[in-house]
Amino acid sequence: MTARKLAAFIDALVSGRRPERFSATPEDVDVLRMAITLRAERPGDATPDDEFVSGLYEELKAQASSRAEPGFQPVTITGSGARPTRMSRGRFAIAAVAAGLVLVAGTTSATEAFNHARTAPVAVPAAHGVGLLTGTFESADHRVVGQIVAYPSHPSWVYMNVDVANYNGRVVCMLQSDNGSTVAAGTFELHGGVGEFSRAIRGDVDQLRGARLVTPTGSVLGSATFA
Amino acid sequence: MFRATQPSKRSEDHHPVRGDSNGAHLRLVDADIYTDWESVYKDNVERLYRLMYAKVGNRPDAEDLTSEVFRTAFGPLRLASSKGEVRAYLLVTARTVLASHWRQRLGLAVTSIDPTSDLAYLVEPSTTGQPSDAPQRAATVLAALPDRFRRILELRFLEACSIKEAALAMDVSVSNAKVLQHRALQMAAKVAQDLAQ
Repeated sequence: MTARKLAAFIDALVSGRRPERFSATPEDVDVLRMAITLRAERPGDATPDDEFVSGLYEELKAQASSRAEPGFQPVTITGSGARPTRMSRGRFAIAAVAAGLVLVAGTTSATEAFNHARTAPVAVPAAHGVGLLTGTFESADHRVVGQIVAYPSHPSWVYMNVDVANYNGRVVCMLQSDNGSTVAAGTFELHGGVGEFSRAIRGDVDQLRGARLVTPTGSVLGSATFA
Repeated sequence: MFRATQPSKRSEDHHPVRGDSNGAHLRLVDADIYTDWESVYKDNVERLYRLMYAKVGNRPDAEDLTSEVFRTAFGPLRLASSKGEVRAYLLVTARTVLASHWRQRLGLAVTSIDPTSDLAYLVEPSTTGQPSDAPQRAATVLAALPDRFRRILELRFLEACSIKEAALAMDVSVSNAKVLQHRALQMAAKVAQDLAQ
């Protein structure tokens, strides 16, 4: 089954169509990466269509107008052209926070920064992007189960979203420093495998090496290494 | 445990600064700032699209991901930031968007954005094509393959042949062409890994 879906994915790449989703195995990744590399070498598609560029411009222009309206909640997103897409709240959240932490800083908590970034952001001198640490939580079988963002400031912040299959309950986020020590950043609940967590932390974020998500029984749901 | 927070490297009041000690970041210049979101968009849309296309290999996904980066980034964006800062910010957003894409599409990260090496996509002139050594690397990989492996990949990925057309060109059955393609991709991936080491 996986081989057939892998072949279908590659067929779609070759013909310029959007590939279908499937559960890839770690063995598939190298093949898929090479297929993408080779496909990207074919002339023609590496520059955007004028229609796409102008269409997105108009959409962003409308979005800029909408932001001025009270209560704007940009969770449902309309895709380009005739392909509407819907961004999940969690997906939007991690992207928005990752982005927002670079140029917009909240004054009390990361959660508040997320909740109010589009209506009442506090402009501060922009931090260079190098200050932001991001990592991807992967399970023991190398499946992506979440993302984490850490931002060095006063105070520093961590934000993460998690999406693991078939787990409900508490999870402890353990931060790992370069010297090998670990500290619990906090506990949060996963409902249906999904959850988000943000917290101000003390200490030098630049010294962080990674993070782990641990259940109360000691099982590791995922590990991330900061880039 | 963690030490007290060190002052992070940043461009206070937009004074010229350099990136961190690895030297991988832009030199920021006072006058080099964006004054409105339209200029941010026009200056970076093609660059971001090319980056995303290189990471996903197809136009529909590259367009959607490019769109998502701008939609996400423009909310918190404050103007009067330097071009270097805005591009670093766009790149961080793009990295997160791409990771989410692979997470939802395949459950595994097939490609990723490296904030250091991929910054070239956003700082090189947009007319210079792919600002990486990927074309040279791909050519090197293909050249290292046995003739039949190289040929099936050329037919499929560079000449846009269907699997039937490729099978006909190579005088093999469609089933054989599929097997040949898979093995060729596996070997090419291995060669690429060896070259990277």
